Amino acid sequence: MEINEENRNSAEEKISTLLDDLASLESYIRDLFSFLPSPVCLVSSAKIILEANPAFEKITGYKTEEMIGKTIDVFFDKERTEEFFERTLKEGFIKTEETFLFDKDKNSIPVSISTILRKNEEEEVVGFFFVIFDLSEIKKTEKILKDTQLALTNMLEDVEEAKDREEQEKNKTLSIITNLADGLLFFNNEEKIDLMNSQAENFFGLGAKEIIGKSLQELDNFTDLKPLVKLLGKKIEKIFRKEILIKKNLTLEVSTVPILREKTKTGTLVILHDISREKMIERMKSEFVSLAAHQLRTPLSAIKWTMKMLIEGDLGKITKEQKEFIEKTYHSNERMIELINDLLDVTRIEEGRYLYKPMLIDFGPVAQFVVNLYKEEVEKRQLKLEFKKPEKKLPGVMLDVEKIKLAIQNLIENAIKYTPSGGTVTVALKHDKNEIELSVQDSGVGIPEDQKERVFTKFFRGANVIRMETEGTGLGLFITKNIIEAHGGRIWFESEKDKGSTFYFSLPVKKELESFLGEF
Amino acid sequence: MTKEEIENLMKTEIETRGVVFQTDRDYVLEKKGENGLKELEAELERMGHPIKYKQIKSMAFYPAGLRVLSLQAMKNVFGFDDEKIKEIGNIATKKSLIIKLFVRYFLSTERVFFQEAPRLWQKHWTKGTLVPVEMDEKQKRALLRLENFNLHHLYCSVYLRGYFAGILQMIIKTPQISCEETKCSLKGDEYHEYLIQWK
Repeated sequence: MEINEENRNSAEEKISTLLDDLASLESYIRDLFSFLPSPVCLVSSAKIILEANPAFEKITGYKTEEMIGKTIDVFFDKERTEEFFERTLKEGFIKTEETFLFDKDKNSIPVSISTILRKNEEEEVVGFFFVIFDLSEIKKTEKILKDTQLALTNMLEDVEEAKDREEQEKNKTLSIITNLADGLLFFNNEEKIDLMNSQAENFFGLGAKEIIGKSLQELDNFTDLKPLVKLLGKKIEKIFRKEILIKKNLTLEVSTVPILREKTKTGTLVILHDISREKMIERMKSEFVSLAAHQLRTPLSAIKWTMKMLIEGDLGKITKEQKEFIEKTYHSNERMIELINDLLDVTRIEEGRYLYKPMLIDFGPVAQFVVNLYKEEVEKRQLKLEFKKPEKKLPGVMLDVEKIKLAIQNLIENAIKYTPSGGTVTVALKHDKNEIELSVQDSGVGIPEDQKERVFTKFFRGANVIRMETEGTGLGLFITKNIIEAHGGRIWFESEKDKGSTFYFSLPVKKELESFLGEF
Repeated sequence: MTKEEIENLMKTEIETRGVVFQTDRDYVLEKKGENGLKELEAELERMGHPIKYKQIKSMAFYPAGLRVLSLQAMKNVFGFDDEKIKEIGNIATKKSLIIKLFVRYFLSTERVFFQEAPRLWQKHWTKGTLVPVEMDEKQKRALLRLENFNLHHLYCSVYLRGYFAGILQMIIKTPQISCEETKCSLKGDEYHEYLIQWK
């Protein structure tokens, strides 16, 4: 009995130990299954879910008790599920297969699934393990990478296109530059030459290769480039249509243009326009005018003196009617002589032979003298002529008196000629320590706005004054401007059509003039 | 449940596996949390038969009376009705370790019903015999008999209905299963009889 009792106690102890071991094993398996990070489920041969771990709960949104008893079709496409089962039955497992899992909210989640057959001791298939791998993040990253790749490809294509376009533009521009009739030089910001087109090569008799990359200082070593280098200076500034003589029969008009890219200066373009032909024509024209004027002046002078003798009765008595005709002819001849003189002045100016004989003069009496010349004329035309001058004596100025008189005359004559009866012509003088300013104001017809730019050019006559006054050479203001500028002065005007004009000129007082003359 | 009823219940010689207390514990923890479990244990202590759920060993045998008291205590503390008790039975099949061990034999509906179900019962209980009577997949019905097992109506007429339905759900593809007790030995019948139907 005791032995039996001992055996029973020993058996109970063994059973208790086995139970403890079983409980530990259960806990171990449960923990292993629960903490497995991959979603895992066990599916029966009838495709019914028999077990699922917490990771599977998480990805599907179902609780385990909700899932157990459901078919696996709930989570995957039916046809794909069939395929997974068939392949697993045939091959024993599926390593990885991408598909979509539908969660409780019917969201489609990209996943990779792996399967393996579960068999019992008799090698009978009792189910399948499904292991899921969530590909959402990988797919997201994949999409970002694909999008980035696409964006980069697009950018690359855009860059290629832009590059091609730029290349085409560059070729186009180069072709234009090469074939341009003007010479072009491009200096970079370091004042080194980057480009010389073929026309510029022709002008200077140099090849671009010889001078590309050279600085202004280095360019000065080339004889033909010296005048240009001198004009451009040490640092290239803005130049607009300055003429330079490169060699005999080659005069260039030089302009510079800063080249900007997105508001940043990248260099300076020097444009060389060949004006040799224009200069030659101009010279020939001047020569012709000079020749014609000289040839005309002698017979006109002879006519003048003969008529004067006739008018004064030196050649015998003439009737009153004859005298009137001869006087008219005499005045016409005078106007022709004036025209010839003007033309000669113009040719002298253009040839640089319009010589000045400056003397230190009190300008006031000179102006007064000229104003006085027009008193009778003004009365005849029923105009009012005023002369306003400062009370104090004006500072002395260096003047070629005859030329200055001519300049003042031209301005007053224009004012009288183009002011209707009843109008006023005001000559005013003023000065400061640097210059003397004379103005001639009229209440005449004024200058049309669109013609103001041409006022000081040769042969210019306003469209409105041609209609009212047929006389006039159109040379007076051109000559006046040249006279004033030759004295180091400035000339300008203000005008309003049908209201009148005011012409101004200023002359530097003695010390300024001396410094101006010192430049020559 | 009166004290006398409790004591009578505890006198029964039938024993059951600890796993049933674990499935009760898991249900309470999920629905009511740790405090719920403490309240349940306090109620059982008040009823005179304390259970420390976390110390229960799934494979060890415990008095069947405690199994009924565990369900009754849940009714007392949480006010669970019969439907809830049925649900506990149903969910137990999905959490039970013994069921999981049996899953490897779930080769076919017929095998589970006719061979494994009786074995499953024997694994859980020291008394009673589960007899598969009929399985008609065309008619979508099955008939089970439980002989020689008298415990308490809360178990046989409520809990077991959910439990049997749960097991059938794991072998038959159907969205809905119902289980009714058509005969009850506690009501004078020779055995318990369960009619299981599905759609």
